[in-house]
Amino acid sequence: MELHAPPHWRCVDFISDLHLHANEPLTFQAWGEYLQRTTADALFILGDLFEIWVGDDVLADPSGASTGFEQQCAQVLRAAADRTNLYIMAGNRDFLMGPALMQACGCTLLEDPCVLEFGSQRWLLTHGDALCLDDKAYMPFRALVRSAQWQRDFLEKPLHERLTLALQMRAQSEARKQGNTVYADVDTVAAQSCLETLRADHMIHGHTHRPARHPLGVQHDRWVLSDWDLSAQPPRAEVLRLSLVPGEHGPAGKARVQRLSPANAIAAKPAD
Amino acid sequence: MSNPQVELHVTGYGVITLELDQEKAPKSAANFLAYVAKGHYNNTIFHRVIPGFMVQGGGMEPGMVQKPCDAPIENEANNGLKNNNYTVAMARTGDPHSATAQFFINVTDNGFLNHTAPSQQGWGYAVFGKVVAGADVVDKIKAVKTGRKGYHDDVPKEDVIIEKAVAL
Repeated sequence: MELHAPPHWRCVDFISDLHLHANEPLTFQAWGEYLQRTTADALFILGDLFEIWVGDDVLADPSGASTGFEQQCAQVLRAAADRTNLYIMAGNRDFLMGPALMQACGCTLLEDPCVLEFGSQRWLLTHGDALCLDDKAYMPFRALVRSAQWQRDFLEKPLHERLTLALQMRAQSEARKQGNTVYADVDTVAAQSCLETLRADHMIHGHTHRPARHPLGVQHDRWVLSDWDLSAQPPRAEVLRLSLVPGEHGPAGKARVQRLSPANAIAAKPAD
Repeated sequence: MSNPQVELHVTGYGVITLELDQEKAPKSAANFLAYVAKGHYNNTIFHRVIPGFMVQGGGMEPGMVQKPCDAPIENEANNGLKNNNYTVAMARTGDPHSATAQFFINVTDNGFLNHTAPSQQGWGYAVFGKVVAGADVVDKIKAVKTGRKGYHDDVPKEDVIIEKAVAL
């Protein structure tokens, strides 16, 4: 999947791994405020926007099994999409997001991976989980839950049952986090070969919660997004911004990359 | 009336013929022709070469010595001409109306350099002509080895010299 930024785009923001959940009101609030006020020409959310997503039918839930939190989030997305271009990629948590949610929110669902052409550069966008090859236990699980058959079977279950299953899975995952698990990182060789195959210069991904810039050879690099957890100490939240600024020595084709706190991302004029 | 043409004789590379769009970019075309007439471009270099983007020149002598220029001109980027492959446009600083002598040749379609709004960010870069002969010369220039020189990035390791610019 390829996206060509329209010529008037000057500023594009990236966030990921918000893990929005009703029990994390501070993160929801910070995210909502940022979405309400960002001046970027486009916002890309690269996976794990939601901690849990059991199917788009949660938005129109007549059974009352859901808490209404998803509807609140959808309203925030809808309002933001009225102001700017909103693109959403699924992560390993919210891979069941589908066309109904996108339609309700006025967002575009991105395939993983996806290439964005912005200025004279090609940016490879991915959640990142598919490149964590050392996560041996996760890879077969990912293949299973991303299969059409598994998703069809799962979505056929009643909503309350899916919510219960999802909560159980989350509890197991939380329990694992308490242990001494060492989490796999993105595989360098796989990342490089992915960039070469898609003729991209740079990669942007989330998933690992280890914000950094890793050079990949001479030409390429890999930018890792931060997760958002506003109740952590210190709180974590970050926006990666690309802006095209006219150079002092002539036209600039390469975007400037900035890491901004949500507050600074709101305050800064585009390409300031 | 046919459009004016200018030949750039690039030492060791060949001749690039530019056709200027006098109708859509009258000020930029007249400005360029005036610099040609007084010999300004003779012995200047393509000092900023970025494959997949553009090649820029017309303001520096070999050794990255800046040449004196005339007063800046109005930006005509709102003339509808697009920064497509092999078009020539005026280079400038962050100020939209700061172009003097330096120009660049697009070596791909650079839609994001086009005019989108009369603002600092949206003015874009004024296209005033196109390459009508010697596109292969442009292709050879964009393939040269480049590096950092002083405050400048993307400077050819070996000077790419415009020996002379001739109005036809």
